[in-house]
Amino acid sequence: MSAIQNKVGIETKPFTFTVERGKVREFASAIGDDNPIYQDVAFAKKQGYRDLPVPPTFATVIDMWGGASFEDLIAMLEVDPLKVLHGEQSYEYMSPIYAGDTITAQMKVVDQKEKGGLTLFTLETIYRNEKNENVLLARSVVIER
Amino acid sequence: MSALQPVKKKPITHSQLVKYAGASGDFNPIHTVVPVAKEAGLPDVIAHGMLVMGMAGQALTTWFKPEQLKAFQVRFKKMTLPGEALTVKGFIKEETDENVLIGEVVVVNEKDEKKLSGTFHVQM
Repeated sequence: MSAIQNKVGIETKPFTFTVERGKVREFASAIGDDNPIYQDVAFAKKQGYRDLPVPPTFATVIDMWGGASFEDLIAMLEVDPLKVLHGEQSYEYMSPIYAGDTITAQMKVVDQKEKGGLTLFTLETIYRNEKNENVLLARSVVIER
Repeated sequence: MSALQPVKKKPITHSQLVKYAGASGDFNPIHTVVPVAKEAGLPDVIAHGMLVMGMAGQALTTWFKPEQLKAFQVRFKKMTLPGEALTVKGFIKEETDENVLIGEVVVVNEKDEKKLSGTFHVQM
């Protein structure tokens, strides 16, 4: 029997990340997404956006660079980094995020269960804008095999 | 069910994984350092699941505008190794009374092995 402590309720400190245009371009480019709305500010503004919009999975940048890095996550969950898998990921988009926005996020462990010798952690992160409005909700299932 | 235009990606390279690690900030060495991947019992480094989801996200904002996307949920099915060329396929399942399209997205390799499957909601 594994003696894994229950992590439900543990949360990170709130962390803040300012979305830079260069980071939006770099992220889209790493995915191989050549959509000009993620690259060209003039083009994005012509499409009616106030700046470069962020790709749908950009929140991972806010987490990893903002304050919940892979290493932080491993320490928080006390898991073996070589045995960790990403099982599921979901996003609920409440309001679009653009380059120039400053986002504050906080990640919390909301569920933990054992299944077939695996440990499944569900993490929930809420992202807020400068006006303290919720703009995004993320949920991920992290598996330790 | 109506099918959307598939988005075909170039084969994933080790360099792309390094680039994605830097862009995303996910420096888990299992994605970039071959000896570490081997220590973990893998044949090679494996692509970040979030890179594969990012490719599915690319397809979603090719098919729709980013601000139309209301929900996007995926389950990772199988590891992806460098050299694999992925294709993102999407299908519209239904339209609700509130003009929300509910769709399915899958990412497959050349052998049609499923890497990711998911659902999305877009506001029309």
